[in-house]
Amino acid sequence: MRSRFGAAIIAVALAAAPLGAQVYLPMKSGSVRFLVLGDAGTGGREQYEVANQMVRYGKTFPFTFAIMLGDNIYGSERPQDFDRKFTRPYKTLLDKGIEFDAALGNHDDPNQRFYKPFNLGGNRYRTFKKGNVRFFVIDSNYLDPEQLKWLDKELAASGSDWKIAYFHHPLYTTARRGPEVEVRAVLEPLFVKYGVDVVFSGHEHIYERYKPQKGIYYFTVGGAAKLRRGDTHPSPLLSARFDRDRSFLLAEIAGDSLYFQTVSRIGAVVDKGVLARRGVRP
Amino acid sequence: MLAAGGCKNEEAKPAENPTGAVFADFAKRVDAYMKVRKTLVDSVGELDPTRSQAEITTRATKLASSIIAARAQAKPGDIFTPEFSALVATLIKQEYSRRPDSVQETREDQQDELPDFVPKVNTLYPTTYPLATFPATLLPLLPPLPEQLEYRVVQNYLVLRDIEANVILDVMPNAVPS
Repeated sequence: MRSRFGAAIIAVALAAAPLGAQVYLPMKSGSVRFLVLGDAGTGGREQYEVANQMVRYGKTFPFTFAIMLGDNIYGSERPQDFDRKFTRPYKTLLDKGIEFDAALGNHDDPNQRFYKPFNLGGNRYRTFKKGNVRFFVIDSNYLDPEQLKWLDKELAASGSDWKIAYFHHPLYTTARRGPEVEVRAVLEPLFVKYGVDVVFSGHEHIYERYKPQKGIYYFTVGGAAKLRRGDTHPSPLLSARFDRDRSFLLAEIAGDSLYFQTVSRIGAVVDKGVLARRGVRP
Repeated sequence: MLAAGGCKNEEAKPAENPTGAVFADFAKRVDAYMKVRKTLVDSVGELDPTRSQAEITTRATKLASSIIAARAQAKPGDIFTPEFSALVATLIKQEYSRRPDSVQETREDQQDELPDFVPKVNTLYPTTYPLATFPATLLPLLPPLPEQLEYRVVQNYLVLRDIEANVILDVMPNAVPS
């Protein structure tokens, strides 16, 4: 049932915008540091405001790449749209050499796979490795048997790395449209079989963090520009939720720990914590 | 023993797989399109990853124009023949009938982002509209396609689409139960 005052964050109370970026991540030597953003490509004021916070936090927490959870460009996809909805808002990050690794959303023309700054290399899905972490970029819009076969093979080959999958449609969410149960039916068995540790999705314009489902941590980070205010609902399965403003997530993986914090458009930290990978959890 | 054998021999023949025959015919039609497409791609050039969105847009537009011109006479049912449509509609109906309500509700919710438009053969899929997620449990039931093509569901239509050119190649109305 929806709260009278809209959803409030469970883990951390909303704070006023801090003067300086409040980074709770350990910044250990040799760690893998990245940014997570979803549903960002509106070209609107809020996207730019969120991007400014990314830059601000990046000064204290120097991440090296950003994973995009789809809906990278809303609406028309003319060259000027890519400028207004991607290269201009993230110019400072791009100039610093931050790599953007995109997944495709339902608002994205699949031809985005040819757009070099999104690093899809002409493919709808791909895998890449950073340190001891293996990322699986999945096209959840079109899970054809060929893609599932590829995923099975790549997961099987990924050995002892951290396994992080990301794609557009959330397998678990309390948002109005509900979880993508069809997508879950085909992906979750593979994730469980091969021990995926964490899944990031967007699509719903909110922030949610689930307690492990069949051993997997699920995050929805779909509010880097769009917002569906009041669209996350209390659930015993949730560890945290936030739907009062736009947000993005910062992550750091060091050894067997994944540290994260979620930041709002005004720079407030709305969730934070640390997760252990499978096999070393208590 | 051939006197009335014509009949007897026919009766003795193993029954043909009607699904296989219909899908084989569909594959032939897809192949025929791909042959035409290849000549058009040869004229506009393959697309490799580029930093220039202008290059991607220009190439997609050129390829789309060439396809639309080359298929000026295309009409519904050229690839999705009536036999194929009847068979696929049945497969989809059967698959949908096995779905729990929660799956069907999700599907309907996902369609709510799609504006109410009627897809038409040999036109562009509206470039500002989202592409509805294709039901993942349905794809394995349909014949595989070359990587340049895909199925999509728009309202209750099944659509065959050229991905790089964004051209609707064929449509099947009433394919998906409301």
